[in-house]
Amino acid sequence: MLTIKNLHASIGGKEILKGIDLSIPAGQVHAIMGPNGSGKSTLSYILSDRAGYDVTEGSVTFKGRDLLSLNTEERAAAGVFLAMQYPVEIPGVSNMVFLKTALNAIRASRGQSPLDAMQTLKLLRGKASAIGLSEDMLKRAVNVGFSGGEKKRNEILQMAVLEPSLCILDETDSGLDIDALKIVADGVNALRSPERSMLVITHYQRLLDYIKPDAVHVLAYGKIRRSGGAELAHELEEKGYTDFVNEAA
Amino acid sequence: MTLAAFITRSRREQEDWKYTDLEALLASTNKTFNLDTGFRRYDEDGDNRAYLLFLNGVWQSARSRFGSVPSCILMGDLESGYQLTLGEQTCLVAQPIEMVFETDSNAPAEIALKLSIDIGKNGRLTLLENHLPSNTITTIETDITLQSRAKFVHGKILASGTHLALHEVRVASGGYYNNFSLLRGGHPARNEINVTLEGEEAQAALNGIMLLRGSDHADTTTRITHQAPNCASRQVYKTVLDGKARGVFQGKITVAPHAQKSDGYQMSRALLLSDQAEMDARPELEIYADDVKCSHGSAIGALDEDAMFYLRARGLNETQARALLIESFVAETLDNVQVEAWRDIFRREIGEWAQ
Repeated sequence: MLTIKNLHASIGGKEILKGIDLSIPAGQVHAIMGPNGSGKSTLSYILSDRAGYDVTEGSVTFKGRDLLSLNTEERAAAGVFLAMQYPVEIPGVSNMVFLKTALNAIRASRGQSPLDAMQTLKLLRGKASAIGLSEDMLKRAVNVGFSGGEKKRNEILQMAVLEPSLCILDETDSGLDIDALKIVADGVNALRSPERSMLVITHYQRLLDYIKPDAVHVLAYGKIRRSGGAELAHELEEKGYTDFVNEAA
Repeated sequence: MTLAAFITRSRREQEDWKYTDLEALLASTNKTFNLDTGFRRYDEDGDNRAYLLFLNGVWQSARSRFGSVPSCILMGDLESGYQLTLGEQTCLVAQPIEMVFETDSNAPAEIALKLSIDIGKNGRLTLLENHLPSNTITTIETDITLQSRAKFVHGKILASGTHLALHEVRVASGGYYNNFSLLRGGHPARNEINVTLEGEEAQAALNGIMLLRGSDHADTTTRITHQAPNCASRQVYKTVLDGKARGVFQGKITVAPHAQKSDGYQMSRALLLSDQAEMDARPELEIYADDVKCSHGSAIGALDEDAMFYLRARGLNETQARALLIESFVAETLDNVQVEAWRDIFRREIGEWAQ
């Protein structure tokens, strides 16, 4: 599904990623853990072509295509979805209109006809109730006045509606209490499928108690320092990142 | 007021025309608009909206559709001016009236319209002016009088063209004047609204959106005078500029010495989509009473990069993402439009412009 080779990237000339190698087969969930400033979010932005984040070396192949040659919306159309750490508030635009515009943009890129208002409403209602979002939240302006948990749930709703093949979850657990975390994790787990891969970026092991990864990678100082199974997350929880920080230094 | 009279005014009141050099702008305008394409006439929508049609400034009674509106609602002619008079206690709100101003190839180079609207005590009127694209220079002078507790909801849509409008509005005690203007261009356009709150507890709400691109130049100038105690005024203007367009907002709130407990609010925000566009905002407060609540603000900004990235990461292309953020930017103003059917019209106009 996703193959990253020797990826180097910088922000404003400062190198943040120093040669990442990572491969996620279809249907697998991989977690990236690491201390603050290790380059976790940079990786997610590089995969979504955010302005200001520059690839200086290496390659990223997604479903056989050169991902780096596509711009942000082309990547979304190809099936890459980034659940943001800080979802943006858009006053005056209802969640419904936003989701409908996004869905029809993605459908158009797949050669599918747009859904009309009634079809969209039906689809959105179903997906929203499945992750415990009220219909009222579809009518409200995008993320405006949403609690931290509601914002993250709204990200998962978008993911459920757009049906991407690669889901990148950037610190989706940040700012969530345990109940909200469970709801978000349930939403993510419901989307697991043999055709869909996930990259879960997190600082804490706690999210991985609810979203069981197939592999865990430790990112520190711009490189993956260690990879292993789900047990690696528990080891990190006990020992912290100190070893890796020392190793890199 | 004819074009010549507007030019004389602009020479005399240079400070008020500082950002809109009328003569220079008129001399540089050579744009011709296609009158047949790109704009939909709302009377073609198949609903039963009442409208009064003006062709080249002349009212076409036979081509108008009155619905439940009495056909004697409008008097006068182009030469002497048109009068719309509503008696005491008369309400014309169930069916909003639309005035459609259209020009064709027989239009003169200039049309000078005069309109006077008088609403009697407790009267209610809802009226939308719809100025279709025109190659004729249109000037329009509108005198509006609201007797005590009268209410007037006044909308305006201006498509591209050269358009100079001057409104003089007087509101008696307890009266309420609500204006919403959508300017979709201008070569140049100047929309001047002067409101005098003459009686206690009179209120005015002025809202507007200017959507400008290319070489458009549009100017909204408002002057609100609180002349009696306990009056309130609210103004929210939003301007979106692309290309080399230039937008002007000048808003002045004057509070007379005895107009205690005045409440005035004014806000102008502009969104610049191009680094060659220009916005000039000049808010002014002139307060002679001591017990008042008045505030104003002005902000000019660019598109939010985080929001653009967020929308594009959900599959919207740049044009779609921009259109949605423009919609978001003007939404606050649109919420102030009191007639629901108009909100849909305005939203559609904005959506078309943003695509």
